[in-house]
Amino acid sequence: MAEQHTASDCKQRASQGAGGSVSGNGRPNTAAGCGGGGGGLSGGLTQPAGWQSLLSFTILFLAWLAGFSSRLFAVIRFESIIHEFDPWFNYRSTHHLSTNGFYEFLNWFDERAWYPLGRIVGGTVYPGLMVTAGLIHYLLNLLNVTVHIRDVCVFLAPIFSGLTAISTFLLTRELWNQGAGLLAACFIAIVPGYISRSVAGSFDNEGIAIFALQFTYYLWVKSVKTGSVFWTIGCCLSYFYMVSAWGGYVFIINLIPLHVFVLLLMQRYSRRLYIAYSTFYIVGLVLSMQIPFVGFQPIRTSEHMAAAGVFALLQAYAFLQYLKDRLTKQEFQTLFFLGVSLAAGVVFLTVIYLTYTGETAATMATQHHSLAQHMPSLYFSPLPLINPIKPVILNLDTERLFDPVLSAFAVYFAGVMVRLMLTLTPVVCMLSAIAFSSVFEHYLGDDMKRENPPAEDSSDEDDKRNSGNLYDKAGKVRKHVSEQDRPEEGLGPNIKSIVTMLMLMLLMMFAVHCTWVTSNAYSSPSVVLASYNHDGSRNILDDFREAYYWLRQNTDEHARVMSWWDYGYQIAGMANRTTLVDNNTWNNSHIALVGKAMSSNESAAYEIMKSLDVDYVLIIFGGVIGYSGDDINKFLWMVRIAEGEHPKDIRESDYFTPQGEFRVDKAGSPTLLNCLMYKMSYYRFGEMQLDFRTPPGFDRTRNAEIGNKDIRLKHLEEAFTSEHWLVRIYRVKKQENRQALDHKLRNVAAKQKYTSKKVCISCLIIVVIFKYRFFFFFSIGYQMFMQ
Amino acid sequence: MLVWLLRAAAADGLVNEEVKRTVDLSTHLAKISAEILLANQGGSPVQSFTLALEPELGPHLAYVGASVKGEEEEDESLELKETAVHGRSGTFFQVQLPSALAAGGKLRVKVETVLTHVLRPFPSHITQAERQLVVFQGNHYLYSPYPTRSQSTRVRLASKTVESYTKLGNPSKNDEVIEYGPFKDVAPFSQDTMKIHYENNAPFLTISSITRTIEVSHWGNIAVEETIDLRHTGAYLKGPFSRYDYQRQSDSGISSVKSFKTILPASAQDVYYRDEIGNISTSHLQVLEDSVEVEVRPRFPLFGGWKTHYIIGYNLPSYEYLYTLGDQYALKMRLIDHVYDDQVIDHMTVKVILPEGARNVHLDTPYVIDRSPDQLHYTYLDTFGRPVLVATKNNLVEQHIQDMVVHYTFNKILMLQEPLLVVGAFYILFFTVIIYVRLDFSITKDPAAEVRMKVASITEQVLTLVNKRLGLYRQMDEVVNRYKQSRDTGALNSGRKTLEAEHRTLTNDIAALQARLKAEGSDLAEKVGEIQKLDGQVKELVNQSCQESERLVAGKVKKETYITSEKTLAGKRQELISRIDSLLDAL
Repeated sequence: MAEQHTASDCKQRASQGAGGSVSGNGRPNTAAGCGGGGGGLSGGLTQPAGWQSLLSFTILFLAWLAGFSSRLFAVIRFESIIHEFDPWFNYRSTHHLSTNGFYEFLNWFDERAWYPLGRIVGGTVYPGLMVTAGLIHYLLNLLNVTVHIRDVCVFLAPIFSGLTAISTFLLTRELWNQGAGLLAACFIAIVPGYISRSVAGSFDNEGIAIFALQFTYYLWVKSVKTGSVFWTIGCCLSYFYMVSAWGGYVFIINLIPLHVFVLLLMQRYSRRLYIAYSTFYIVGLVLSMQIPFVGFQPIRTSEHMAAAGVFALLQAYAFLQYLKDRLTKQEFQTLFFLGVSLAAGVVFLTVIYLTYTGETAATMATQHHSLAQHMPSLYFSPLPLINPIKPVILNLDTERLFDPVLSAFAVYFAGVMVRLMLTLTPVVCMLSAIAFSSVFEHYLGDDMKRENPPAEDSSDEDDKRNSGNLYDKAGKVRKHVSEQDRPEEGLGPNIKSIVTMLMLMLLMMFAVHCTWVTSNAYSSPSVVLASYNHDGSRNILDDFREAYYWLRQNTDEHARVMSWWDYGYQIAGMANRTTLVDNNTWNNSHIALVGKAMSSNESAAYEIMKSLDVDYVLIIFGGVIGYSGDDINKFLWMVRIAEGEHPKDIRESDYFTPQGEFRVDKAGSPTLLNCLMYKMSYYRFGEMQLDFRTPPGFDRTRNAEIGNKDIRLKHLEEAFTSEHWLVRIYRVKKQENRQALDHKLRNVAAKQKYTSKKVCISCLIIVVIFKYRFFFFFSIGYQMFMQ
Repeated sequence: MLVWLLRAAAADGLVNEEVKRTVDLSTHLAKISAEILLANQGGSPVQSFTLALEPELGPHLAYVGASVKGEEEEDESLELKETAVHGRSGTFFQVQLPSALAAGGKLRVKVETVLTHVLRPFPSHITQAERQLVVFQGNHYLYSPYPTRSQSTRVRLASKTVESYTKLGNPSKNDEVIEYGPFKDVAPFSQDTMKIHYENNAPFLTISSITRTIEVSHWGNIAVEETIDLRHTGAYLKGPFSRYDYQRQSDSGISSVKSFKTILPASAQDVYYRDEIGNISTSHLQVLEDSVEVEVRPRFPLFGGWKTHYIIGYNLPSYEYLYTLGDQYALKMRLIDHVYDDQVIDHMTVKVILPEGARNVHLDTPYVIDRSPDQLHYTYLDTFGRPVLVATKNNLVEQHIQDMVVHYTFNKILMLQEPLLVVGAFYILFFTVIIYVRLDFSITKDPAAEVRMKVASITEQVLTLVNKRLGLYRQMDEVVNRYKQSRDTGALNSGRKTLEAEHRTLTNDIAALQARLKAEGSDLAEKVGEIQKLDGQVKELVNQSCQESERLVAGKVKKETYITSEKTLAGKRQELISRIDSLLDAL
């Protein structure tokens, strides 16, 4: 018995020894991570690795599937339809692309927008989205898969979410390990921050841009790791795709230089970095300039200067490195280096500071005022769950710099503008995946019988080069006979299972939460509204499409429709009519003119509308059903924008009561009560009694009885009002035909040759008086009033 | 002149003995039916007679049909052929009688004509509050090549309100009915304008064009899709459209069309109703016993002059419409289907898409229809295209809802083509993946990487061997323990022998691998050498402990000394093994 005891003793000591040797290397967790699942796809020969790759393939496939199907709420509840505003433009231009071909699209001058100016669409869009959808449609049709371009557009974003999941997996695997990669893929597949811009029907740039973003990061990390021009060129192509897809490419062209800069600061300069960044900068710059909309911006604007600065810095650094090898004056060298890098750093930081505080953020933020597009509270919703874990991660992470740089940058951006939360989402997903993965590695280690490979110090240059092999090695199952049944250190099975259970519950709750948010917050097309009755049955309010389709069918093909710019894209897309202003918002004075027309009184507005050749005016009115996003609620923006350009004619203060309130009832300011927008919104609404408890003309959105119930329109007439009064369209009357008077006169004169001149003249006077009776009555009334 | 004409007409010897005309103007169509008692007053039997239509109404003729009113109350429809009468304008049809009408015989014939777009809105533009008035211009008499002995005309209107009507023969008006006649002895081809101006708020809907696509699949489904352009052809809406009035006053926009019913076949499934911008959510579907009823409600009410465009589609099971005999197939379906009651179709296109590989296509239609050249249609998994029959016809009404038959032959083997195509595509895909994974496609050879891989595989072998060797020692420990209890020297010796033998082979193997490592130029060879050296020491220690235990069993040493020496040995061994382990880790 005693001998046995000794033997087991020995084992124990041996295991302790082994443990000590590992911890002596200083990076146990990272190493464990590498050992965790690095073998995976690359070492597909041995049996367990084969299983592993099958497993990861299955998980990725399921993540794709889950991501795809959780984006289909809107399609199932409503239909396969393009959502919101901008997607309608994208859809329309994709339609143009698929019917007329690529070159026609590039040269497309859209005369239906910004009448009378028009818009050069080919040169003012990021064509990546349209080209992607068009290409998919083209390929499918080549294979005789007769899918309508609309369905391609609707389902593009959900399909790309799967690609995003895979590229996130690749990136996280590159940065951490396979397990974390799989978790990250699952997270990004269902995280609401990303779903918000990529539900089925939300055919917008961001839907494909996040994929391009993640894939570019992956290829960048890969090219820095390998230093191979092949990967760098791949990175450039991916960057090119990103540039063609979304204005957010600026994010990449600043982040990568920042990464390089930080690496330089931390003395991590290497040949691979030099190759990767120089190639990336030059090829990427040239490629990005091929997009007509971007043009020469990369060498002109301040957003891109950081990249140029780092490029110069890197060249200087490399040159100094070269000199250092040749020269002996070590001290002089270091001093010189310090001086140069300090100067460059200062320049770089100032550029960054100027860029983001001064220009980009401000310009981008101002554009989206009256559209409720930001939804900050919901954007943040995935974060509370993940945030607490993040600091832990950042502590663990000492070597893979890309991650913290990325996250810091993304957090900064998201702070500047909540819409850019989108770029933060993948980062958060990756970080939390890493956190979960390492937690699981600690606490789920029961059947992990493999031991860590000897962790190399990766800060060492050579080892870093071999890092690819390092991952390969880890896949080998290495059992140490001597430590087959070594007990776990410190953690009882209870704690393990509790922690694991907690983590699993957290994940489960996360999935439930994501589905809930997706289903409730992001799955409304906003073109079709739905309301629910007391018994749960659903009413569909299809007023937008009713009115747009009426315009499409029953107005002249070249009719010009004036509306506030929010509805420009929808009118162009659904009604196929010419608009004055749209969501592109490139011409502020034109918008201001429309705003002025809306906020002036009818006759002043008529002059503007006449000068703009307006045939129809379209407004959104929610007073009947209580829709709060209508034009009266946006009206102050119209006034403000009009005031900005025409401060003499429009003053915002005129539209407020003396107490400074914006009211539509009797207490409202007379200017408001007589402006065109008010009149058009409430025309004949004063007669309407919605229910017995409220007086006629009770506005449900603003909960007020309207102040001006007797509205008469002189130059406009109601052309169409949708079933729930949500959309009202007015026809601008043509000017009266003045020729009729002369013509009639001549007839009279010819017929009554025998009458005396007196009669003739009196006839003339009567006719003239009759013609201008309104004016006469008006002037008489005016004089009486004055007396 | 007249005498000559009379003689020409009387050549047949036919006379309209008694004519009862009914002009139904209650909808937007003019349905004129006439019951004619034909009498043969000539000398010879007559095989056919001629129907005539006024030259003004000819272009509006949508349908004309004649039937014999039999004694047993069974109508027998007659065959019509368009013909011309010399010297007379108008549209003429030759009607073949079922049996020759003997001289002096009489026959009761019923003639039905449907005219479209003959009701002219007057005034042509009305406001929302106004009612729609229309004018009908027709003939008081029956337009016929034969003399008429006696005739009466009854006009049915849509409402009581009549602005004016021609007063030939002092007609009587009773609510919605105006009775003309009887007129006696009317000459052939006599015309007298009947003009009625009255209120008609019936839906003046016209399908300006419809494209009906029938796609036959031999997998059990027939997909039907109708693309419809609809227009309100009544009086144009003048001035504003007020939603308030429309909602609050029941007679506001009385001539406008809010919705109508389309009746689909009873087996219709997956009905959809949409347009360019998506589903038209205002519709309702009702499944009845003998039909499926869709309440088609356009997105907006249709006022005069307004138009809309929509697509309605559904699936039908093919067993109800597709008949087969060997390779012969026959598709029997309605050429045009019901869209709304009293429908008018200005222009119709029918497309029948047959399965890929259908040959000898032959189309039987119930009435004359223009065939366009056949087309090819490519859809899912098609290679050489599906044949498409295209046919067009203008000016159709409800009476045209009749069956057509498409005959074709189809080789059943072709059914396998599409599944095989899919199988083949997947086969190629997987095969390509297999080829790609198995073969090396790199354009450059990387000797360093190859060496690395070789070294890696050798080190892996070394690892397993060393582990196995360490396992041997543990086995030896067990043997020694057992020996200490059983004191069976034989077992110990045999155990020692097997250890020796296996140890030798393993050591040799490792040495061989070490040599190979050296040959590859890897510095790992030294480490392996070191392991070998350490292993030798371990082996010695094992042997020592073995001897110690022998001595213990033999009673040559005391138990305490044995335990202490065993302990030191074990300690040394452990130290060595841990050194080996660390070396292994470094490999």
